[in-house]
Amino acid sequence: MTDSSIVQAVIQVVLLALVSLLIPASYRVIVGPTLPDRLQAVDLITTLLIGIIVMLALVEGTENFVDMAIALAAFAFIGTISIARYISEGRVF
Amino acid sequence: MLLEFLGVAALLFGFFFCAVGVLGVIRMPDSLTRLHASGKVATLGLFGLLLGAALLMPSTWLRILALGLFVLLTSPVATHAIAASVYRRREIVVELGETGAQTESTDITRVDVTAVLSRSRIQDIIDAQERALRHHAPDARAKRDK
Repeated sequence: MTDSSIVQAVIQVVLLALVSLLIPASYRVIVGPTLPDRLQAVDLITTLLIGIIVMLALVEGTENFVDMAIALAAFAFIGTISIARYISEGRVF
Repeated sequence: MLLEFLGVAALLFGFFFCAVGVLGVIRMPDSLTRLHASGKVATLGLFGLLLGAALLMPSTWLRILALGLFVLLTSPVATHAIAASVYRRREIVVELGETGAQTESTDITRVDVTAVLSRSRIQDIIDAQERALRHHAPDARAKRDK
């Protein structure tokens, strides 16, 4: 019984630490000298958010949160590709 | 018991690489090196977290496998697109007469204006100028051709 409580404590600590990692990542979004730096930092933030959602599914014990993570990964991929095309080509399509 | 131990170890592994990647994104000096650091978060960090989640909550391993496969497919493509945009942007700035080192400078407004111009649009501008020259001075061109 103590094992599962230790595991829950570790999960919650990792979740809090991942959320606190969002702050330095958003520093790069605000400060980043060029446009691709900001895009790359936003991509990093969405990757961290996928990890946060999976950890939240572990904390809550809800399996359906993983589906949210899949949807977030899909939309983040489309957004990153289109903005990178806009930066390099000058247009999206 | 063993499953829980392995799951916690994988979670800590993934979190370690997430922290290292974010630290690299802050501290690295150049765009491409920062991209290298953020790639570690997408592969090692996220896969460690997903492996830990699958070990700690075994009933959801199929969805986590689907998420892992999707991230494995899309993350390198996104990183490649960002790297290509960094490279082409630097090429455009060099073509317009700036040196490559100035792309990283603090002269943000100048660099951002040039970044929106694509190579094809620059070629369009050059073609239009040549057409205008040919239209306004046809005999000069004819003399030069003779």
